[in-house]
Amino acid sequence: MAAPCSRMANRPLWRFITNVRRTGLKHTGVRQISLSSACRAATQTRSKTEGVPSPWKLYGAVCLQRLPVISQERNPIEDQFAELMHQMELERSLLSDHEQRLLEDSERMTRKQADNYDSDEEEADYGGQETITAQDQEDTWEQKLKHFQPALRDRDVGGTPLGSVERCLGDSLVLLVQQTVGKETIWLLPQAQWEAGETLRQTAERGLSSLPGQLCGEADFKATFLGNTPCGVYRYTFPKEVRTERCVGAKVFFFKAFLSAGSASQKEPFLWVKKTELQRYLKPPYLEKVDRFILNL
Amino acid sequence: MFLSLMGVDGHVSQGPWFASVLTLKTSAPLRAEPKKKKKVDPRREQMVRERLKKKLKKLERVPPELIPIEDFTTPAKYMDETRVRGAPQLPFEESERRALLLKEWSRYKQTQHRAEMEAVGLAVEAQREALEELRLESEELYQAALRPDPLLFPFNHQGPSYTPPKAQYEAPEGKYNNITKVYTQ
Repeated sequence: MAAPCSRMANRPLWRFITNVRRTGLKHTGVRQISLSSACRAATQTRSKTEGVPSPWKLYGAVCLQRLPVISQERNPIEDQFAELMHQMELERSLLSDHEQRLLEDSERMTRKQADNYDSDEEEADYGGQETITAQDQEDTWEQKLKHFQPALRDRDVGGTPLGSVERCLGDSLVLLVQQTVGKETIWLLPQAQWEAGETLRQTAERGLSSLPGQLCGEADFKATFLGNTPCGVYRYTFPKEVRTERCVGAKVFFFKAFLSAGSASQKEPFLWVKKTELQRYLKPPYLEKVDRFILNL
Repeated sequence: MFLSLMGVDGHVSQGPWFASVLTLKTSAPLRAEPKKKKKVDPRREQMVRERLKKKLKKLERVPPELIPIEDFTTPAKYMDETRVRGAPQLPFEESERRALLLKEWSRYKQTQHRAEMEAVGLAVEAQREALEELRLESEELYQAALRPDPLLFPFNHQGPSYTPPKAQYEAPEGKYNNITKVYTQ
């Protein structure tokens, strides 16, 4: 009984007042992340209930990633370590059936070539069958392997264009498009403006399907969106000429998606870039926000 | 009267109706025995059947034999001594090189792990900020964003292989004999 009373007494008066205001508005009882954001949220929702629309335009953008198709090249230390592990495993292992067979065959060969070779004795043991030695089997297997030609790992030597999905098979690539925002045409992740009555994820899907290549029917991206939650946000204010009372700026919400199937032929408006190449195309403040959720793992 | 009934030898010589009563007494059980068989035998058969059932139940109450885990028992053919590879004697330099390489590898992996953890932390932070901003915009969109997507799982993706896939390649069909042991309880 004593403890809560002392806690109430220690709480400063202004905090008590804001608490009262907060509890008065929010019946849902949602936990606040920090006090400042709580106050801001309280004021915002109060303005909502009063019927004033928010001054930010909403956009939904999609971060479409093509995951790597082949494994990456090994570092020198990874190479050394893999070799060491292989060696240690070999040393600690027992002989396999195949290896034992090889040893037996080689022993038999040496016995055959020795002077005091008694073929009757040998054949009595083995029943006079023609046995295929393990070495012969190994040779046939090697021959079969040579018939199969796997596809080459590094096809980039020819210099595939940046717009092709097939470039850099060992890394994950992100799709960039050129769109007109305001007065400039810049490279950015495909986005579309939010319309009332749809969720932001649907906006992002619309942004992906309404790309110029998609509309013509040439490029066909089948993407799997990873959930309804946005993975990042980019907020920017419009330059002073465009700014009005109603729209101060725009907020772009990004959604992650993986490319499940894509067509081979793409035209110029598309770019598939690695994370390290993003800085060549994106503007610095935009890149700062986007870089965080694009994982190169 | 009794003396006259008893007779001279002490033999009970009753009148003719007495004899018929005696005969009745002797023949009545003879006649009733088949009836007794009909009652007792089904009862006896039932008793036998019940006893058998009880014995069966007792046998069934025994817990079923555990299925042996074949991975936990070393097969006998691997205990053979002829299979042992000659343990190589490593020179001092080789063992030193190995120890140093292992230490370097652990350092490399540690930096890699730290980088991964940092990257994941940044991504989580970015998502949290995005949700915060969305909350400020509209509660409705925020709630829509928090809803789980039922169509996402099961999610399948073909991971990276060593060589890229060949276009229009038909893999040859493999034949195999399945020799796994199937145990029934």
